[in-house]
Amino acid sequence: MIQTVLSRTGWFVLLFFLQILVFNHIHLFGYATPMPYVYFILLLPSSTPRWASISLGFALGLLVDIFTNTPGMAAAALCLTGLVSQPLLNLFAPRDREDDAILPSVATMKWTGFMKYAVCLTVLHCTTFFVIESFTIRNWQDLLPYIAGSAALTLLFIAAFEMLRSRRS
Amino acid sequence: MYNLIEFLRKYHYIILFLILEGISFLLLFRFNHYQGNVWFSAANSAAAHVDRWYADALSYLQLRTLNRELTDANIRLQLEADQLREALLTATHDSTYTERTVYEQLKDFRLIPATVVSNSRRRSNNYLVIDRGEADGVRSEMGVVGGGGVVGIVYLTGPHFSLVLPVTNKKSSISCRVRGQRYFGYLQWDGEALGHAHLDDIPRYARVKKGECVETSGYSSVFPPGIFVGRISGISNSQDGQTYRLDVNLGTDFANLRDVSVIATPYKAEIDTLHRRAAAADAALEE
Repeated sequence: MIQTVLSRTGWFVLLFFLQILVFNHIHLFGYATPMPYVYFILLLPSSTPRWASISLGFALGLLVDIFTNTPGMAAAALCLTGLVSQPLLNLFAPRDREDDAILPSVATMKWTGFMKYAVCLTVLHCTTFFVIESFTIRNWQDLLPYIAGSAALTLLFIAAFEMLRSRRS
Repeated sequence: MYNLIEFLRKYHYIILFLILEGISFLLLFRFNHYQGNVWFSAANSAAAHVDRWYADALSYLQLRTLNRELTDANIRLQLEADQLREALLTATHDSTYTERTVYEQLKDFRLIPATVVSNSRRRSNNYLVIDRGEADGVRSEMGVVGGGGVVGIVYLTGPHFSLVLPVTNKKSSISCRVRGQRYFGYLQWDGEALGHAHLDDIPRYARVKKGECVETSGYSSVFPPGIFVGRISGISNSQDGQTYRLDVNLGTDFANLRDVSVIATPYKAEIDTLHRRAAAADAALEE
């Protein structure tokens, strides 16, 4: 338990710094900006109280926002992601598990389950983020490349992190 | 109460979520110009919409009063417009040279302005009806003039309307002369063209030319002398060959006659009295 909390705190700090120092400066083709800080929400165990995941999402989003000078955008998006993460995790988690609580990872959910979960959360987060950024869905066709590009790139990084993590453990 | 607490316990994370989202959007609108402006203008237009609904509802409730006021104003304006239209017609009435001179000559007489309300034409015995009667001082055998000159003579009078015997009636006979000469004759209408009449009994030694003016002679008490009647359009011999017969183009357009004036001759009563006394004297002599 303590170990989990410590490791999640470590991921929190790591993802935060990676985001503000590296990923925020990537604008692939002018559209795709990776936002792998969603990975932190992905990693939260299913036993996490929902208020905690919502608050953590808000906090991480707000911190990222402060350094990208977009106060409120990522906070709102990640807050929503935190809200829906637990029902989604229950949806994609394997039914035949031993204990109720599950630590989302490749090891516990297999690649397919984990990636489905990741795709859902990432797409949701990217959509929310860009809708809030443009603040209109009238030109939704213009929004699509941003959402798709960023979600794809984010998923790429998430897969890489997950691969590293699973290999190390 | 218990239910409320239970509900809060169960869904406290939803409330937390809403609060945090609220904070996020507060920050968003506060610190991002674009979203802030969008939000501000959207909120503004929403407020404007609500205001408009309110104003619409209010004005709907006031419709009855407004309707009453509008109807009153409408009636008032309509009456005013009618009066003004009448005034405008008098003010901008197309005044021809003849009309000006006719009224110039008649300025010492009392004129009773009248409007033709009924006008029969293209019949051998035409009559006009004007909207002035005895109540306005119109008496029978008063002269009637219009913009084009002589119109006719009042024949019968009612309290508010009068029947006028126009020049274009076979019974009409008005004493006329050629302008600048003393020879006079009686203007008769032959029942054919509405704009033509003829003047009989002009002596053969009179020097008249086509185009000269025919005017009233003033020998009858009906018209003062010198009122325009028409112009000579042709000269021919009368049936007995003793005198000329002048064709006259009438100055008045009887097909289009609206505003006329009745000449209230002040001397008519005096002349009539003289006539009566002469007749009485004749009768006394014969006895």
